[in-house]
Amino acid sequence: MTDRIDLDQVRAIIRLAEDTGVADLEVETPALKVRVRRGAGHQSSEEGTRVVPFGSVTPPVAASPAPGGDDHLVPIVAPMVGTFYRAPSPDAQPFVKEGDQVDEGQVVCIIEAMKLFNEIQAEARGRVARVLVENATPVEYGQPLFLLDSAARS
Amino acid sequence: MFRKVLVANRGEIAIRVIRACQELGIRTVAVYSEADRSALHVKMADEAFCIGPAASVQSYLNIPNIMSTAEMLGVDAIHPGYGFLAENPRFAEIVTDHKIAFVGPPARAIEVMGNKSAARAFMQRAGVPVVPGSQGVVTGERQALEVARATGYPLIIKAAAGGGGRGMRVVHTPQDLAAALQTAQQESEAAFGDGQVYIEKYVGEPRHIEVQILADRYGSLVHLGARDCSIQRRHQKLLEESPPPRLRERTLHAMARAAVRAAQVIGYVNAGTVEFLVDAQENHYFMEMNTRIQVEHPVTEAVTGIDLVKEQIRIAAGERLVVTQRDIEIRGHAIECRINAEDPRHDFRPSPGLLSRFQPPGGPGVRVDTHCFSGYTIPPHYDSLIAKVIAWGRDRAEAVARMHRALAEFEIGGIRTTIPFHLKVLDNAFFRRGEVYTNFVQRRIDPSRL
Repeated sequence: MTDRIDLDQVRAIIRLAEDTGVADLEVETPALKVRVRRGAGHQSSEEGTRVVPFGSVTPPVAASPAPGGDDHLVPIVAPMVGTFYRAPSPDAQPFVKEGDQVDEGQVVCIIEAMKLFNEIQAEARGRVARVLVENATPVEYGQPLFLLDSAARS
Repeated sequence: MFRKVLVANRGEIAIRVIRACQELGIRTVAVYSEADRSALHVKMADEAFCIGPAASVQSYLNIPNIMSTAEMLGVDAIHPGYGFLAENPRFAEIVTDHKIAFVGPPARAIEVMGNKSAARAFMQRAGVPVVPGSQGVVTGERQALEVARATGYPLIIKAAAGGGGRGMRVVHTPQDLAAALQTAQQESEAAFGDGQVYIEKYVGEPRHIEVQILADRYGSLVHLGARDCSIQRRHQKLLEESPPPRLRERTLHAMARAAVRAAQVIGYVNAGTVEFLVDAQENHYFMEMNTRIQVEHPVTEAVTGIDLVKEQIRIAAGERLVVTQRDIEIRGHAIECRINAEDPRHDFRPSPGLLSRFQPPGGPGVRVDTHCFSGYTIPPHYDSLIAKVIAWGRDRAEAVARMHRALAEFEIGGIRTTIPFHLKVLDNAFFRRGEVYTNFVQRRIDPSRL
C-alpha cells in the first residue's frame, strides 16, 4: 500500500463522471476515496424531457446461472422492465465496454421505464466479460445484461 | 378490432382471455413473474415478458413494469382479468392515458363502485333497493342509535373501505351498540388504514344472487340473467349456478331491472355484475357492483351461449353490442365448482405442490377452465384456484348429475383439492332441493365427514 495519490485514477474518475453525466459520483477503493460533484440541472434528453433517475437500484439476484458462464462470471440483471441503453445519450460513449474494469456501484447502463431513466449499477467489482443485450432493446425483469468476470484483476 | 392485447394476469383467467383473443384473431402478450416461468399462459401467448419476482406486489401488481411492457411491445389493449389490477381505478386511468384501451369500465365507474358507501348513495338516488341503514359514514354513538331506530335489530356495522369480513360486527341489542361501533372502527383502521364505518339492517340467512350485465359505449345495455353464489365459505364463493334455483320469476325480473338501472346511473360500459342480498321473503337489496369479469362468468355463458370475454374485448374496441335484450334466452341450467388446491379435511388449508397427475373430465355438457397440467407445480404465491368445472344440463337435476359424474372423473394426484367437499354439497338433500343461503356450508356440511 502506498500513501501517494494515484492522479491517473482520480483523472479517470473525473472523466467517468463527465462522460456519464452523473451529478454525484463517489468511488472508494482500499487506497482511495474520491467524490466528484458536478453542477446540477444540465441533464436533458433529446426530446427536452427531464431525466429523473430513480437513484440507485439494486438489481435482483439472477434466477439462473449466466448463459455460457464460468464460475467466476456473474451476470448483472435488469431490475425492472424497460428499454436498455448503453450510453446516457445517443451520441455519448457507452458507460462500459467489454474489457472495462467496473467497481461496485458503478453505473453500467440505463433502463428507461415510463419515461424515466434509471441508472443501473454494478453490484460487484470485476471486468466486463460480455455485453449481452443490444442497445435500445426491450429487457425483461431479471434478464442478464452483462457478464462480469469477478476473478479478473486489472 | 385490436391487433395485440396484453393480458395482465395469470392462471386460468389469463388462459381464458388468450383463448378469446385467438378466436378474434388478436395477438397476445402474456406477462409473468419469475415463479410462473413455466406457466401455461406463458406458453400459449404469442409473446411473453417477465415483469418481476414471485411476490405479486412486485410483478402482477407492478404497474410501471406492466406499462413498460405494453408500450415496448406495442399493444393496443390491456385485459386485467379478475383480481390483481382489475378494479384499480388508477391503473385503468394510466392505461387510457397511454392511449391503450382498458378492457373494462371507465376508471370513474370503478372508483364509485369501489367505495361502498358512495356506491350505496348512488344506488339510493337511482331507486335501486338497498339494505336500510345509515346515509354514509357513522361516527358516534348518538348517530348510531338514531340509525338503529330506523333499521331495527339485529343490525350490522361494516367498514366503508372493507371486505372479507374485517371491520364487521353484528349487533343484537342497543346495549352492545357503542362497544361494537368502536371495535369495528378500530378493526377497519387496522385492516384498511381507514376507520370509516356504516350501519345496515342485518339480513339473516340471505342468498347471494347477482345479475350479469353487458353495456356498450353507445348506451345499449343488456342483462344476462342471474347467478346464485350462496354456497360460500368465509365469503369465498365455492359453487355457483344459473339460473338461481327456487326464485320467483317476478323477483328475477325486478332484480334485473334494478341491475340495469344501477349500471346506467354510473355510466357503466363493458361487462359487470350487480350483487344482491335476497332474504327468505325474496326482498332484494343491492350489495355491490363488481366492475370486471368474474370467476363464475362461465355459468352465464353456458345458459346464454354468449362469450362474455369476447364481448368485453369487442366493447373495449368500440364495437356495438350484437345482441338486444330480446335475443337473450336462458337455456337449461349450469353449475360451476371451483376446484382449489386446499385440503377440506383440514380447514381448507392450502395444498400447493407438484401435480403428479392431472386428468380433467370431459363428455357432454362439461367444460373445464384450468391452467394446470400433469407435472405442473402449483406455486405457493398466488390464489389456490386450480380449475373450474362447469356442467350444463337441460334442467338443474341433469346439471347436478353431470357435475357429480364429472368431479368423480377428475383425477388429480400429488395435492389435496376441494373435490370431496363439492361432492358432499352435490349429495346434500337441501342443496338438491335448491335450499341455499350464504351460511349453507356452516349449517349443512360437516367437514369432519368428508
